[in-house]
Amino acid sequence: MIEEALLVKQLQTEATQKRAFELLVNTYKEKLYWHIRRIVLDHDDTDDVLQNTFIKVFKNINSFKGESKLYSWMYRIATNEAISFLNSKSKKLNIGNSEIQEKMIANLESDVYFEGDYIQLALQKAIATLPEKQKLVFNMKYYQEMKYEEISDILETSVGALKASYHLATKKIEAFLKED
Amino acid sequence: MKKTGNSFKVPEGYFDNFTSKLLDNLPEDAAITPRNEGFKVPDSYFENFNKKLEGKLETKEPKVIALKSYKKYYYAAASIAAAITIAIGLNLNKTPELSFDDLADVDIENYFDSNESSLSSYDIAEIIPVDELEIYDVIDNHLSDENVMDYLENNIDDFDELNIESNE
Repeated sequence: MIEEALLVKQLQTEATQKRAFELLVNTYKEKLYWHIRRIVLDHDDTDDVLQNTFIKVFKNINSFKGESKLYSWMYRIATNEAISFLNSKSKKLNIGNSEIQEKMIANLESDVYFEGDYIQLALQKAIATLPEKQKLVFNMKYYQEMKYEEISDILETSVGALKASYHLATKKIEAFLKED
Repeated sequence: MKKTGNSFKVPEGYFDNFTSKLLDNLPEDAAITPRNEGFKVPDSYFENFNKKLEGKLETKEPKVIALKSYKKYYYAAASIAAAITIAIGLNLNKTPELSFDDLADVDIENYFDSNESSLSSYDIAEIIPVDELEIYDVIDNHLSDENVMDYLENNIDDFDELNIESNE
């Protein structure tokens, strides 16, 4: 794995930029894909958001100051792009955020690219009911198995607050699934 | 023994880390489902992703028409037009100062003819400088010098006493 400082330098130098960017995409595309997919659920939407994320990264790479890890910065961009996407979707359809979630879950059932059994679908429904922050923390901790410190860097929230969010999220999901 | 405060000690940073430790030690919820959530990806999606992205990066040249620069010129033109308008307005409002030169001589004569002047001949004589007066300022009929001389010669007994000096 190429050292981060060196990669950043190559990304910010015109001569080496293209190759360095290719390496960056190859390294992070899958991780970012799944992170986005858990937020927007649909594959095609994820594809759009992922591309927009990388385009934003490319356009702003010169203003990256290394105050956080490159990975955290990209993750943050991906998160914001995904959330913006959902917000603009709900605006276009003129419905609220919770309604959008319901719509997305309904689509999931008939989605060609979702082959989960009924339990997995129920879990997605449960996650969809969570407030935004809790949902993000849950996905990142439970599915991506990220460390709290990493999540803290990306979401710019304290580790303590994240732990509390995660705990609340698991409790809510448990209650939701028990009701079902 | 002190009455206030207890004599027990606590490890440093104990209370600061308490919440964190507690949350960490909460029983980990048993995995309700396997970590696979059921999402699928189309075949070769990730393999083809790079090329697709490259295409988008090359074509994404936002055509932004720089409206800002036009604004500058617009404001400049508008302010110049405003300045000119104000200048013209100010000029129009100026009442022209009148002087006697603006009056035609005919008008002055008509005034004196139509109005009864309260000035006597003596008053007028005081006002008008005699030095600048010529005989033809007060007499309309222009008499030639020759005719005047002839008249004087024929009608005055002692012509020489007039002491007319010839200007020749």
